[in-house]
Amino acid sequence: LNAAPGRAPRQQVRFLPASAPGGGGAVGLVAARLPVLADHPLVRGPRFKKLKIGAGHRLDVKASGVFVLGIGHGNKLLTDRYNCHLTRVYTVGGLFGKATDDFSDTGNLVEKTTFDHITREKLERILAVIQGTNQKALLMYSNIDMKTQEAYELAVKGLIRPMGKSPPIITAVRCLQFALPEFQLEIHCLHETQQYLRKMVHEIGLELKSSAVCTQVRRIRDGVFTVDDALPRTQWNLQSIQEAIQSCQLKVETELEKTLG
Amino acid sequence: AMAGAARRLLRRGLGVAAGPPSTRQLREAEEAAPVFQYAGKAAKRKDRVFVWGFSYSGALGVPSFVKPDEGWKKPRRIQPTPYRLETEEKISSAACGYGFTLLASNTRDITKVWGMGLNKDSQLGFQRSRRDQTKGYEYVLEPSPIPLPLEKPQQTRVLQVSCGRAHSLVLTDSEGVFTMGNNSYGQCGRKVVEDEIYSGSHLIHQLKEFDSRVVQVVCGQDHSLFRTKKGTVYACGWGADGQTGLGHYNITSVPTKLHGDIAGVNIIQVSSYGDCCLAVSDEGDVFGWGNSEYLQLASVTETTQVNVPRHLPFKIGKVKEAACGGTGNIVLTEEGNVFVWGYGILGKGPNLIETAVPEMIPPSLFGWSDFSPDTRVAHVRCGLSQFAALTNRGELFVWGKNLRGCLGTGRMEDQYFPWRVTVPGEVVDVACGVDHMVSMVRSFT
Repeated sequence: LNAAPGRAPRQQVRFLPASAPGGGGAVGLVAARLPVLADHPLVRGPRFKKLKIGAGHRLDVKASGVFVLGIGHGNKLLTDRYNCHLTRVYTVGGLFGKATDDFSDTGNLVEKTTFDHITREKLERILAVIQGTNQKALLMYSNIDMKTQEAYELAVKGLIRPMGKSPPIITAVRCLQFALPEFQLEIHCLHETQQYLRKMVHEIGLELKSSAVCTQVRRIRDGVFTVDDALPRTQWNLQSIQEAIQSCQLKVETELEKTLG
Repeated sequence: AMAGAARRLLRRGLGVAAGPPSTRQLREAEEAAPVFQYAGKAAKRKDRVFVWGFSYSGALGVPSFVKPDEGWKKPRRIQPTPYRLETEEKISSAACGYGFTLLASNTRDITKVWGMGLNKDSQLGFQRSRRDQTKGYEYVLEPSPIPLPLEKPQQTRVLQVSCGRAHSLVLTDSEGVFTMGNNSYGQCGRKVVEDEIYSGSHLIHQLKEFDSRVVQVVCGQDHSLFRTKKGTVYACGWGADGQTGLGHYNITSVPTKLHGDIAGVNIIQVSSYGDCCLAVSDEGDVFGWGNSEYLQLASVTETTQVNVPRHLPFKIGKVKEAACGGTGNIVLTEEGNVFVWGYGILGKGPNLIETAVPEMIPPSLFGWSDFSPDTRVAHVRCGLSQFAALTNRGELFVWGKNLRGCLGTGRMEDQYFPWRVTVPGEVVDVACGVDHMVSMVRSFT
């Protein structure tokens, strides 16, 4: 940022002494435009010394995916996005047959179990139940009085969601791949942590009378930001960042307006 | 010398130096760990029964709710969430009456039907009291076998049971229908005996005279309906609201065939619980008769009692299943849509209190969404002022008046739109009563 050409220095008009043409002695004043020394980069120093960067929802060390950052004035938008309570989408990879103490495949082994009795149908049944109980939690934590007509109308449209603090709620789960012992789920959730998702994989394993560990947690969507908008490590330079901010500006504005009104 | 010996051991590799385990050591330890097996490849899903609602009458079949094991514990009057009931056999059919429950299994063993709850009119048969061998129990607190006078007890199977206010019907595959309980209006299908004492009665009546084999029995509040294989409907019992559909308002003590708009029509399902009755034909038409004070039949007539079956001309599509409650009715169409009409909490928010024309409940309330577009309602059931719907994913939705916690939601407030009941399993069937419910559930794995 500091290498980019800065603002032109201020100009001032000064009257400088200059020798008059044809003969010494007499000193006349000539008006000249000179740059103000106070604006010189060597005097002022680099233009950007600090940059305020705020982070959106936390992303674990072991997880990967979309991570939203706010720069400078964008930090104000971050609080607005937090109050929107939008869902985030993760792809979670799991492995049957093992149980570890921190629910991921790099933890200490607790138990090994058989898993050949698990079928895709059983897994989908468990996922349907998880969705059902979380749907109930969604309605309960939204703090809407269930006896009103507007609660009924919001429930029909599926727009009831908790607008305040709530424990992690899963709005939708779907099995993307199933190849024993591995499986992959797509999870839409609210107010979650990655460790909660790993714990959920572990609990799915327990429900199926076996055990499971989580091998991969990848966030593929956070509000309006998807993997397509995200910048990989090779593109962490000023040009791409500026382009990304430009392209997402409109999307973020419409999203905030739609939810917060 | 000791230190030198230790050092020599270390060098030979007999003593291993301590330190954090290397990756190879971890992997080897993991592979050497024992593997536990919790479920084999041929593990079958188990069938369970869950009950909830008002428990003080013993209708839930858990004695510790009414008479706790410890002296200091208080009896549990209401069970607000599903509670597992241990049964000896797999229960294939259940019915909830007014304060009592019947469970039936289609086994060939001698004990096929169990009953619990109120027994003041012998609706659960004669339950011999242990304290006094001549008297019977008035409240049965746990599922007790009901002795049926079968001719071939080791061959006949019980297909279905049904319970009304104070009487019950048991349908068998080859020995007709057995009725027991209160008969003051002829609802048991036998002649009314004046001043008969029903409490502690051993009498179980058998009904066999129908035009063909009976395939469904339904109990209304004080009347009984029988549907035969040929598609005809028979009725007996109280008729002051026209619920027997026989063209008069008197009581009938012998099952008599119904005519009216269902004459000649092949009826595939009948339903009743209060004083109104509904029948569904194989072509998807709905017929109704009985009480219409709550606009149940107001689409065809202004009168409040209809004593002849009338066709209800609803343009909602082919109807697959219907269920009748005390004041509201519900039907399920072939496409999987649910329609409600009548009076009370119908399921479309607090603003819809009564309607004579069926209103559809949006499928998104039953778990249908873009994420799962195959979710649809498979069955509908009715209690006295509650409704229940089962989806093809095995989820149970309930709504209506939450009388003494009978909805099973865990809360005591009325529910104005369909709400999921959390049951640890896939719900296969549910029976709704006045203030309690029984569900048959299969475990997940």
